[in-house]
Amino acid sequence: MPLVEVRDLYKSFTRGAETIEVLMDLNLDVEAGEFLALMGPSGSGKTTLLNLLAGLDTPTSGTISVGGERISDYSESELARWRTRNVGFVFQFYNLLPVLTAYENVELPLLLLPLTGAQRRKQVENAMGLVGLSDRMSHRPGQLSGGQCQRVGIARAIVTDPTIIVADEPTGALDSASADAALKLLDILRSELGKTILMVTHDPHAAERAQRIVQLEKGRLAHHNLTLTH
Amino acid sequence: MFPGFEQIDGVSSSPDLSLVQTALYASGIFALLMMILTFFAVLSLPIFFGTVVLLEGLLKLANNVRDPVGKLSKIFGLVFRSLRRNVVRTSLTYVALFVLTGMLSTIYSGVDLIDKITQEKEDNVQVIMTERFGAPSMMPRSYANRLKGILKELPPEAQPRNIDDDFMVWSFVGATLDLNKRTQENALFVLALEPDAIRTMLSYQGLSKDDMSEEAYAELMQSIDDMKKDKRNVIIGPERLELMGKQVGDSVKAYALGYKDVTYDFKIVGSFPAEVSRWSKSALMRLDYFNDTLDGAKTFSGAEVRPVNLIWVRMPNKAAYEALATVVNEPKSFSAPQAKMETASAAIGSFLEGLKSIVFAFKYIIMPAIAVIMCLVVGITITIGVRERRSEMAVMKVLGFLPWQVMGIIIAEAVLIGVMGGLLSTWLVYFAPKSIEAFKAFTGLKFKILFFDKISAPILITVYGPLLGTFVGLIGSALPAISSRKVKVSEVFAQVT
Repeated sequence: MPLVEVRDLYKSFTRGAETIEVLMDLNLDVEAGEFLALMGPSGSGKTTLLNLLAGLDTPTSGTISVGGERISDYSESELARWRTRNVGFVFQFYNLLPVLTAYENVELPLLLLPLTGAQRRKQVENAMGLVGLSDRMSHRPGQLSGGQCQRVGIARAIVTDPTIIVADEPTGALDSASADAALKLLDILRSELGKTILMVTHDPHAAERAQRIVQLEKGRLAHHNLTLTH
Repeated sequence: MFPGFEQIDGVSSSPDLSLVQTALYASGIFALLMMILTFFAVLSLPIFFGTVVLLEGLLKLANNVRDPVGKLSKIFGLVFRSLRRNVVRTSLTYVALFVLTGMLSTIYSGVDLIDKITQEKEDNVQVIMTERFGAPSMMPRSYANRLKGILKELPPEAQPRNIDDDFMVWSFVGATLDLNKRTQENALFVLALEPDAIRTMLSYQGLSKDDMSEEAYAELMQSIDDMKKDKRNVIIGPERLELMGKQVGDSVKAYALGYKDVTYDFKIVGSFPAEVSRWSKSALMRLDYFNDTLDGAKTFSGAEVRPVNLIWVRMPNKAAYEALATVVNEPKSFSAPQAKMETASAAIGSFLEGLKSIVFAFKYIIMPAIAVIMCLVVGITITIGVRERRSEMAVMKVLGFLPWQVMGIIIAEAVLIGVMGGLLSTWLVYFAPKSIEAFKAFTGLKFKILFFDKISAPILITVYGPLLGTFVGLIGSALPAISSRKVKVSEVFAQVT
């Protein structure tokens, strides 16, 4: 049974009197532990699809189930709680809170979970160790390089031990060396920790890391390409 | 109001100002107040940020406490971090709130002071009877006895509690030490009243132990007791004594100016303390001596003159005063000349009549306007902050923070600045008058602020200030907080198409 099941998905936005159809009749399965890349031209609806899969938005019609939970029926607060436990986010521009240290940024989602201080500390240290930044825990984002910020972002994404990691152009703001390091990390998360990774990217080189590339065009699935498995 | 008595309850007679002059005067005071408050606001910035750092430090200590305290302290810590994010903006908001709260509490204190003066108290209503149309008021001595008679006929609950303490007759006497040389140095202005009434009169004039040193107070009380020993004994203010070239213990002969052939043989038994500036040029004599000299005069008899300027009565409550006033104000009761009765505060109120519209404007236009401006200042600052941090808020919501939690952080920021600004500002407004009074007492300098000999601010403003800050923080941040609540989590991916 697939981890993510998308059935007959429609999403439209209303702007004034105009209704814009963004996603139409979309069906998609993602297996647990899969690394999926979403590609497509601007306006094809990949961001909207990512939002829906990550529980950031709700569909106009159709269903989305993740791990057997039909998240398309959830309210805003139910989605918020679900996201905390099940989804880790990696952003193009890291989106770290500049006033917090790397440690505090990574700890932030844990504050919403019923964990003791000691448990939180252990999980943060594990996540920071995994991304190789144990020695940068007290640094603020402004004191870190772009690559290091992205690694902190990845640590924050995995610290709650989520099922799915959603990555939004994770290499878009990085130089090639840092981009490679970030992609390698995502790959490790999939291969060693069994995380399911959904990544939006324009970069074919980044997409090569994925096991499958889903091409979107004008709100519909165009191709399901199976790439190399790592 | 009365010759030589320009002070009543700490208020001097207001200068005769035109509306334009008054408006210019008020604008000048406003501008000066703003400058002073801005100066102190800037001076207090280290205290503000010091407190922020201190509170943040305490929160950090709480981080290690068992959850939920530890967890909440970390989330609340975000508020402090945000305040330190843009120090200039936070400082400017704090300064604006400090100045505006300071202006509001200063105006409130001023209005409160004036209100207190003009307020007609329900209990112990102090009333004065004066001539209705004459200025200065001059009434026959019989009025005092007749009024006393009326008081005794009132129902027991409407009568003064103690007629000896609560009833006094004042006669003002102008005199000179040399009829042929009526110079300033020779002039003497004397208030004649019963020695037993002197303490009541001093208390009515707002003169208490607080106005002088313990020694000076004891000395004054001794002088009052000494007055009782001989009807010729008088107390004269130190400045007048100096002008006259006399001192305590001396005897002095004085000639009444308003009453022909009336002379006084005074013996100076005491003086007023130097601290009490309003009495430095005046003198007190016994009413019985004043009356005796009138009766003994060749050309005038007691029945013909009208030596009583004012009769003061303390009524137990407002209803009693109204019952008495109804009788006194009847034309037939005191008809030659007609007399009127009003509360002391109402009489004082006439001093402030000219300021009435300004007080009204302060109370109902300027004070609410300042509160609205405060809300706008907070609103604008927080709105800018929310706009700048829109993506951060979206990220927090993406991570699982609920809308009300994000909103709470925004509101807490505004309330924190509001409370701190309100607290420090009202402390300044509360303690500044005390410091000025302490300075005056310490240095012996005597000066007035506006028309007030003694200024004070109600302690309640130290409570109202932080409350106002909280209110302004809540109202001002309401819209931006709601806007932060509505930040769509999907906006966080908006850069990607």
